[in-house]
Amino acid sequence: MSATIIDGRAMARRIQAAAAVEAAELARAGWAPRLVSLSVGATAAAELYVRNQRRQAAAAGIGFEARDYPATISAEELGGVIAGLNADPRVHGIVIQRPLPAAIPVRALQRAIHPLKDVEGLHPASIGNIVYDDLALGPCTARAAVEILRALPLDPAGLEVTVIGHSELVGKPVAFLLMGLGATVTVCHALSREVAAHARRADAVFVAVGRPGLVTAEMLKPGAALIDIGINRVETPEGPRLVGDADFETCAEVAGWITPVPGGVGPVTVAMLMQNAVRATRMQMERYRGAYAGGQ
Amino acid sequence: MSAKIIDGKAFAAGVRGRVASHVARLKADHGITPGLAVVLVGEDPASEVYVRSKGKSTVEAGMNSYEHKLDADTSEATLLALIDALNKDPAVNGILVQLPLPKHLDADLVINAIDPAKDVDGFHISNVGLLGTGQKSMVPCTPLGCLMMLRDHHGSLSGLDAVVVGRSNIVGKPMAQLLLGDSCTVTIAHSRTKDLAEVCRRADILVAAVGRPEMIPGDWVKPGATVIDVGINRIERDGKTKLVGDVHYASCAEVAGAITPVPGGVGPMTIACLLANTLTAACRANGLPEPEGLTA
Repeated sequence: MSATIIDGRAMARRIQAAAAVEAAELARAGWAPRLVSLSVGATAAAELYVRNQRRQAAAAGIGFEARDYPATISAEELGGVIAGLNADPRVHGIVIQRPLPAAIPVRALQRAIHPLKDVEGLHPASIGNIVYDDLALGPCTARAAVEILRALPLDPAGLEVTVIGHSELVGKPVAFLLMGLGATVTVCHALSREVAAHARRADAVFVAVGRPGLVTAEMLKPGAALIDIGINRVETPEGPRLVGDADFETCAEVAGWITPVPGGVGPVTVAMLMQNAVRATRMQMERYRGAYAGGQ
Repeated sequence: MSAKIIDGKAFAAGVRGRVASHVARLKADHGITPGLAVVLVGEDPASEVYVRSKGKSTVEAGMNSYEHKLDADTSEATLLALIDALNKDPAVNGILVQLPLPKHLDADLVINAIDPAKDVDGFHISNVGLLGTGQKSMVPCTPLGCLMMLRDHHGSLSGLDAVVVGRSNIVGKPMAQLLLGDSCTVTIAHSRTKDLAEVCRRADILVAAVGRPEMIPGDWVKPGATVIDVGINRIERDGKTKLVGDVHYASCAEVAGAITPVPGGVGPMTIACLLANTLTAACRANGLPEPEGLTA
């Protein structure tokens, strides 16, 4: 074992503490941040997310209301719920818990959220902003992964980075955030030839595919940073276990830094949601003051 | 000289011909004539030339062209009111605001006031995000033209290594998204990339979009690669003004498998794609299938 193991939980606590300071400041100005989470149907996975988010929101002094809707709700009714939350000045951020029932078009709902309340950073305008290097409200998972890299003693400018996985919510935004920092980014995916060669050239590797054991030690340049965004549930003789996309034991022998799963990117992702919540609240406060209060 | 020269003029003429015949069918079968509104503020001579040539091409393709010329001192409110009216006008399927705008006008604000469905330049922040997340969007004209030429030359781009040099918002970044959408392994290189020659040498597809005359020499090109040169640079040579691209044409053409010349390569595709985008917008607005081979 030679790699430094990155402590995502400690990093999340630091981000959360900074968010708490800002949330308190906003509350003093009459703008106490408040999130509303929408869950549809009973799903165990979503409940876990909601629990984590509620806990971190409480720690950061951010209001958090979880609403549950039955699986039978129509897309139109949910659209109406979102329109109401968009219009409600006491709500500063809307979180749509996934998975949603198949009949609900998740992208249409994401688009329906007002961009200033898009704390998950999934509205097309939010993604567009990060492509244009404006980091207002970026998608939480991608921002978390990039924050972890930025906390390392590596200069992102000119850094060779390989991103494995080009999903719309993680891989692509990660690539654009890194490019904004001046990295030379290569994006690989299922149809790429020689993924190993691309990975081995990189000073930092990000992987977000959802396949356990995809990244192995021989795919890494010695000393490289490995940021593992995958979360996979695998069965072991000792019962089910969460693992990432990298073979942690062997990669840790070669990498310079490595994120564990769990306890790496995951907790930082929830902390990013809290950071987005205070940012969104501040943006709404400034918009309100600019529009209605003569700049006061 | 071994490379096949990709004749952009002929290719663009083919695209315009296909747009025109599709437009004729729309008229005959559905009574629809697509319309493009071009807004010019002020009297920049270069912009006036562009606007005139766009209008002429629009009419040649059988579409309606609406030109709106406003004084250089037009207020933001007046311009936004015009855009609002064009957004609401069912005869207008595409809206293009000629850039640059006079300094007192905020280009981002104006572009983002255009209905994304009518944003035929593909610069609206929502279109940027929709492209970034692989959703249906309006795609910027120049990279769309490059993609069409690449598809025509290669058939399938799947699994090819593509390197885009330059990370501009209007070419480099959308080009990278489009190549990813066609399943290339994409590297985006730029001024901070450490060993640019080495990065370029691994490309099956090399797209140069930096705006530096003849910066890529032949020995940066992998034998047989396809070179797409987006640069248009005006230089003085032997007392004469000359247009050159971002690649050193003579030496690259010795090595490449195919190459676009400057002028007569990518350049003519831009207006052709503007017409294609206007047609696409008209089809979408009327709930008709999109023209095949003319969109991303």
